[in-house]
Amino acid sequence: MTSNPLPASTCRTAGCTLTGALSVVTQVTDTVTVVHGPGGCTHHNFSLLSATALDNGRPALPPLVSTDLRETDIVFGGEEALDRTLTRVMNGNPGAIFVLSTCIVETIGDDIEKICQAQQGCPVIIVPTAGFLGGSFQAGVNNALIALAAMAESSAPNGRVNLIGEKNLEYEVEENYAEVSRLLSLLGLSVNLRFVRNITTDEIARLGAARLNVLRDPALIPVGEYLNSRFGTPYITGFPIGLSGNSSFLAEVAKTCGINGTDAVTRERAREGELLEKFHDLAGEGVFFSPLPPDPEGRIAARDLARNVGLRFSDQGNPVPVPVIPPVGLAGTERLLHRWRRAIFA
Amino acid sequence: MKQIALYGKGGIGKSTTSANLSAALSLAGHSVLQIGCDPKRDSTRMLMAGRLIPTVMDLVRERGASAVTPQDVVFTGFHGVRCVEAGGPEPGVGCAGRGIIATFQLLEKFGTLTGDIIVYDVLGDVVCGGFAMPMREGYAQEVYLVTSGELMSLYAANNICKAIQRLAARPKSRCRIAGVICNAKNMPREEELVAEFARRVNSHLIQYIPRDRTVQLAELDRKTVIEYDPASEQAQRYRDLAARVMENSRLTIPTPLEIDDLESLARQYV
Ligand code: SF4
Repeated sequence: MTSNPLPASTCRTAGCTLTGALSVVTQVTDTVTVVHGPGGCTHHNFSLLSATALDNGRPALPPLVSTDLRETDIVFGGEEALDRTLTRVMNGNPGAIFVLSTCIVETIGDDIEKICQAQQGCPVIIVPTAGFLGGSFQAGVNNALIALAAMAESSAPNGRVNLIGEKNLEYEVEENYAEVSRLLSLLGLSVNLRFVRNITTDEIARLGAARLNVLRDPALIPVGEYLNSRFGTPYITGFPIGLSGNSSFLAEVAKTCGINGTDAVTRERAREGELLEKFHDLAGEGVFFSPLPPDPEGRIAARDLARNVGLRFSDQGNPVPVPVIPPVGLAGTERLLHRWRRAIFA
Repeated sequence: MKQIALYGKGGIGKSTTSANLSAALSLAGHSVLQIGCDPKRDSTRMLMAGRLIPTVMDLVRERGASAVTPQDVVFTGFHGVRCVEAGGPEPGVGCAGRGIIATFQLLEKFGTLTGDIIVYDVLGDVVCGGFAMPMREGYAQEVYLVTSGELMSLYAANNICKAIQRLAARPKSRCRIAGVICNAKNMPREEELVAEFARRVNSHLIQYIPRDRTVQLAELDRKTVIEYDPASEQAQRYRDLAARVMENSRLTIPTPLEIDDLESLARQYV
């Protein structure tokens, strides 16, 4: 989580456990998520999710319901409120219901499992969140992915690739997806399942059929491990980051899948060279990063890129922005270089 | 108006002491409100002729806070003592501490917290911020510790000293320790021990109450000792306590003991 309060440093992917889990489960379109707690916990997440959907050009209201606990529920326990809400949601015949807990219900100790087990009609899946107890945003994401994966049965292999844990709250999620599928196609591979982005409960059944899982970033290793032990699918950690990330990504995918990727790597290297060539006018300009990205990975990628295009680091130079989440693939890198050019020649 | 709270280990006799104190205060001509702050709701029972009155929290649960009126929760018991029970959730669910806070806010809104003296009879240990509520926010400004000479009850009393000390450090806090009540188990040298404990924590022993069969007999008759046997020596002890409480102006910030010191103190009196 970023502790830098500057607006430019705020990151959507640094909320509480609940936010992390919601960024995953609300992408299963035929389900409803019940957030067990005070209305506020749901409200601000609802706002964030719908604003993000709007930003990403697909306006949609997240299917979120709060048990809306009041003081009497806190004093006497919120189990009845949860039971009531689940029954009401069940009436809408969703594909599944996810139940997420908040700080307060973990404090008062509601027996969520008991209430969920008693419900019948569709699968009711508890996603461990628990607000302050759950840990971080990332823990929420991981827990949600594992809870969803538990719904899948093993199925016949189809030779395709799963993308695991795309950052649904980032602005460039679709561009990043396009970039990764482009790279996979260079190796003759296609995407089996975006786990989880805009899918239905039925589609989750395909999860175990892939030959490879590509994790969005290394923090998802526990999920990769879980899927590996469940379905035997190998995984690689991380979308391609920064310059030369693409060719190493290609090489790694090829190696893990036992494909010859030499050709694809050579072609991608050439594209990297062309990209740098397009920005040769930046060479020799002085820059400094402002604000400094909190994430070391992003800093390293940005420094590397700056050096490669021949930028000089100098306090007297131009302030150039660095995104909180490092750019994915060549497309992301190109986008960043355009921003730098604008900042330098503004 | 005086606002006092009795805190101490569970089972030490806080309710018996509170009820007898309230009864004695009332007979001395004071207008008294006693509030039981334990979900067990047995604080005011002996003042109500054995009746368990409905609790604030039960009514809030059944009807919602907005449908509860002062008449529903304030009951008049022995000699005009007004009685309230906060109540709480079923054991093991929800948050009883928050229930205490909600009760106080409701009583405050009703304008119930009036009289010459309010006696808050608080659950055994200050387990969380909710149970410290009567001490916080200026409700109970004078805390009396009820303890016997047994190590465990001294230990609880010492813990409450820690809570008072911590709360007293808050800028607007008026919460102080007002004295120690020895509700004896009739151990040898018990009064001396408790008096010494009180001195060490920067307070004083305000009343020694011996263990007496009259208390049990009165309880079986669903009465306070004051009502059951006003001529008894035990009743006189409670009347003395009442008089001292009304006069007492010795309010201090306690200095809780380290566990080792508390243990070696107890050892000296074995
Ligand atoms: S679960 Fe806890 S941290 Fe998250 S929004 Fe609710 S109160 Fe805040």
